[in-house]
Amino acid sequence: MIKKIVLVGFLTFLATGAAAGQTAGHFYDIDKEVKIEGVVRQVSLEPRYKGTAPFLVLRIEESAGAKMYNVEVSPSWFFGQDIHGGEKVKVVGSLAEVPDGVPTVIAREIRLRGEKITLRDRRGFPSWQGGPQRKRGIRRFGSF
Amino acid sequence: MIDRGFYIMMIRKMRLILPVLLIAAVSAQGGTVYLSFNQHSTRNLFQTRDAVADQISAFSLSIDQDFSALSFLANLEYSAFRQTTGLSFFSADAGFDYLLPAGEKSAFYFAAGGAGAFYGQEYSAFSSLGANLVAAFKTYLAPSSILKLQWQGVYAVHRDSLFDFLSQIASLSIDKYFQTRTTFKADAEWGYKYFLHPFLPEPVEPLTEPIATIAAPNGMGTGTGSGQGWGGQQYQGGNGFIPRYSSEGGGAGIGHVSLSLLAAQGIGDVIGLSASAVQQWIVTGENPFLSIEEFYLVQNPSADAFSWEGRQFTGRITLSLPWSVELKAGYTYSNKTYPGVESMSLEGVPMGIVRGDIRHLFEARLEKNFRRVTVFLVYSRVDNRSTDPLFDWKGHYVMGGFEWNLPTGRREARHD
Repeated sequence: MIKKIVLVGFLTFLATGAAAGQTAGHFYDIDKEVKIEGVVRQVSLEPRYKGTAPFLVLRIEESAGAKMYNVEVSPSWFFGQDIHGGEKVKVVGSLAEVPDGVPTVIAREIRLRGEKITLRDRRGFPSWQGGPQRKRGIRRFGSF
Repeated sequence: MIDRGFYIMMIRKMRLILPVLLIAAVSAQGGTVYLSFNQHSTRNLFQTRDAVADQISAFSLSIDQDFSALSFLANLEYSAFRQTTGLSFFSADAGFDYLLPAGEKSAFYFAAGGAGAFYGQEYSAFSSLGANLVAAFKTYLAPSSILKLQWQGVYAVHRDSLFDFLSQIASLSIDKYFQTRTTFKADAEWGYKYFLHPFLPEPVEPLTEPIATIAAPNGMGTGTGSGQGWGGQQYQGGNGFIPRYSSEGGGAGIGHVSLSLLAAQGIGDVIGLSASAVQQWIVTGENPFLSIEEFYLVQNPSADAFSWEGRQFTGRITLSLPWSVELKAGYTYSNKTYPGVESMSLEGVPMGIVRGDIRHLFEARLEKNFRRVTVFLVYSRVDNRSTDPLFDWKGHYVMGGFEWNLPTGRREARHD
């Protein structure tokens, strides 16, 4: 009985908290996916949405045409990944609204240093598990 | 092949777990739910010369949920061992983390959580409850250079209080990226682990036989692989764990500092190379246990990152192949000694030399991303040469599995 009460409480807690991060109008639209290739010119933490942690945002200068993009990476990957200014990257993401005249891309996949970082699945749902806390656990062979 | 009994047991476990998973998935709107299944196969579960083969099926459920700048995370995992069923364990951890920006280029990160692991009766000594705290700071010194500071504290109590400990690690790293697509990184770390009461009470009669043999009647490592080791008659472990006796009791600490260097190079868009070297020194104390052991997939508190000094070199290659396939392969050479831990003969007689291991480890991981799931296969081969003949072993490990992210929110709201 106690286990059931704890379970119900836990699920209620999750369900009530769900509404905190939701806003409409700025979302991953798979029909607006683009691929851009360029150089990271600026890395910053920016408050993007009400009710969420600040996002890691990359200002990328496209190789072809020198067009600038803001690429939203994720809230927690500021600590999860080290991305430097000057790095060449390829980004797959959804083109979103343009708040300051610079096109914004919500990143789904980033390729840099010969590695691919998957941030969302192909339907646009986040697949990151960010900060240092989430990296703990035992080392097992093959866990790169 | 999975036998019928094991299959029935897994079905029963899943009948209990699946409803919880599904309810959690539905409830966690706005969060993210991850499901994964890993199937492991090993020929040397206990990593000793007395190889014990086993297969392990591991299921896990993780939930991530943001509440403003605070994130809640929880993870449930069940690992079922086919042969050594007493090692099957359930683990859970939960916690909050918080990202605090300090300008556009810097941020603090704080996390707090609790964790528990629960083993079957034969291995219940490893069952534990713990808490941990993390504080970190990261800043861009320049667009191409990052400085990071991190501190982590862990407190854990075990069913067998010999393993209870308090530990902390502080680290500082700095890196620099060059236009040649080269990254250099340097790391310095200090760590200290304090076992709160790692000693057995001194026996009344003076010891006249080898230590391990004396310990055996109470279930303390015989070093023979006979299944009568520490933990009792059903303990099939490496029999390599042997605690020390002390009339004074009390605790014992071991501290280290380490330096590491890493160089990474991107070649084109598909190849990533990296090489790293770590040198670690024990600067205070030593391991409080006479002999320590390490199990595949099982958190063994007697052997971890605090227990050794020496050096390690690693080389890795990552290939980003077409059709969303990624291949990673790596080789690690390590030369470690374990201060305070004695090499022992197979009869359990101390040989008068500190245990030292030289290990060659080859690992490869092939991963394919499909539309809804990620499927992977991992192969590892280990050749471990030790001054303690019990730990002179080689073997390989195979793991395959999939990871699945459940869509748990309304699609138009998936911005976070």
